[in-house]
Amino acid sequence: MAIKYTEKILSRILLLNFFFHFGKYWLLLSKVFARPEKRKIYYQQTIREIEKLGVNSVGIVIIISIFMGAVITLQTRYNLENPLIPLYLIGLTARDTMLLEFSSTMVGLILAGKVGSNIASEIGSMRVSEQIDALEIMGINSASFLILPKILATVIFNPFLTLISMIIGILGGWFAVVVTGALPMADYIYGIKYAFIPYYVLYALIKTIVIAFIITSISAYQGYYVSGGSLEVGKSSTRAVVYSSIAILFFNVIITQLMLS
Amino acid sequence: MIEVKNLHKSFGEQAVLKDISVVFEKGKTNLIIGQSGSGKTVLLKCIVGLHQIDAGDIIYGGDIYFNKLNFKERKNIRKQMGMLFQGSALFDSSTVLENVMYPLQMFTDLSEKDKAKRAIECLERVNITHANDLFPGELSGGMQKRVAIARAISLNPKYLFCDEPNSGLDPRTAILIDNLIAEITREFNMTTIINTHDMNSVMEIGDNIVYIYQGENEWKGSKNEIFSATNDHLNEFVFASNLTKKIKDNMQ
Repeated sequence: MAIKYTEKILSRILLLNFFFHFGKYWLLLSKVFARPEKRKIYYQQTIREIEKLGVNSVGIVIIISIFMGAVITLQTRYNLENPLIPLYLIGLTARDTMLLEFSSTMVGLILAGKVGSNIASEIGSMRVSEQIDALEIMGINSASFLILPKILATVIFNPFLTLISMIIGILGGWFAVVVTGALPMADYIYGIKYAFIPYYVLYALIKTIVIAFIITSISAYQGYYVSGGSLEVGKSSTRAVVYSSIAILFFNVIITQLMLS
Repeated sequence: MIEVKNLHKSFGEQAVLKDISVVFEKGKTNLIIGQSGSGKTVLLKCIVGLHQIDAGDIIYGGDIYFNKLNFKERKNIRKQMGMLFQGSALFDSSTVLENVMYPLQMFTDLSEKDKAKRAIECLERVNITHANDLFPGELSGGMQKRVAIARAISLNPKYLFCDEPNSGLDPRTAILIDNLIAEITREFNMTTIINTHDMNSVMEIGDNIVYIYQGENEWKGSKNEIFSATNDHLNEFVFASNLTKKIKDNMQ
């Protein structure tokens, strides 16, 4: 009885806590999307953020995509034992896996780790070292000034990362076929071209934009409201990655149902 | 001039500031002193609007009720403020010159050349030369404070706030920073409020002093009156060190 009562109270507290942060998150977003002070400064900031959060992520996206494309191709090949299934389906599977899931969601999860922790720790450090207070004292909308360029940068640039990931992933599969000879190259290439649905690319790009917004806004929220010292900055960075990842997976289901059903 | 009237501030159940009333005069260095945890920083952050107050008024220039202004109206007053933070709060990713140019970039329509010229003037005023391209991490603590002062005065503010300006500095540099703030206050006829628990600062630049004890305003006066004050808590604070005790003995 006592345990059930405690569970009930705890779940209510957790629910209240969730709604508290959910409300605070939306209030922060309303500050972020307030009219910018000087557009020129925001434009310059956005370009800097594109370089920092986007261009600097190209390397990791290429490395992961090439290996994932290779692994998807090889695993599909070694699990297809039925001789009645045509081999070109391996190329088709590699392509559609990259297009539908890997290049948008999986790359999003990886970027949640790289970019999300970067954003949370950067803004969190600025908070604990009073740099955000300094901006506020100057009369600058610190939330908008610090967060809006990051959101714009990732929303603009991440679709390019997704496109790069798609191309490199398919090339990774091609590379695996060349190196291992697991299937005839002609079958792989035929599979890549077979029954291509351009809408899948659009679906992946829309998903990427949503994921980019989730990563940046949740991580920025975690950093912006840090209080304490370096330990709390570290914790906020961890929370940014965990919560962004959960939100990405949740919205992945919703978008998939909305766009592919 | 800044006037604080019957200010109350609590964090949850804990009352941090209780019925504070004080006037900070223009053209003078106004010091808020007290032990660590007495509520000095909270008072300063309430005055600049970084903390919402629970009750009372904060009046700028005799007729602007700062706590009753909306975000946009506050922003206009904030453009007239400069603040020196305890840890300097310089932007790590920007150079010294960029840091000082920040307020100018945001709030003036000057050309890039004029902004840089103004920033260099401010840096020269605080005796920083040949450090324009350095990053805050490459500066000593004293230099960081001076750059922060340069940034604070770049828009010719009417109000200057300093939160423990000489914490973490050696005594000589601390005195230099104190004197620099006092000089700038007179030169630009600003209302300056300094938050400190350093007795050297009190004796150097304390034109007006407010003593806060456990969130209450227990004493007001000047540096000349502090040694003859009869408040027990203030005496415990002022004569905590052997040096100040000896000074008092010599005076007697």
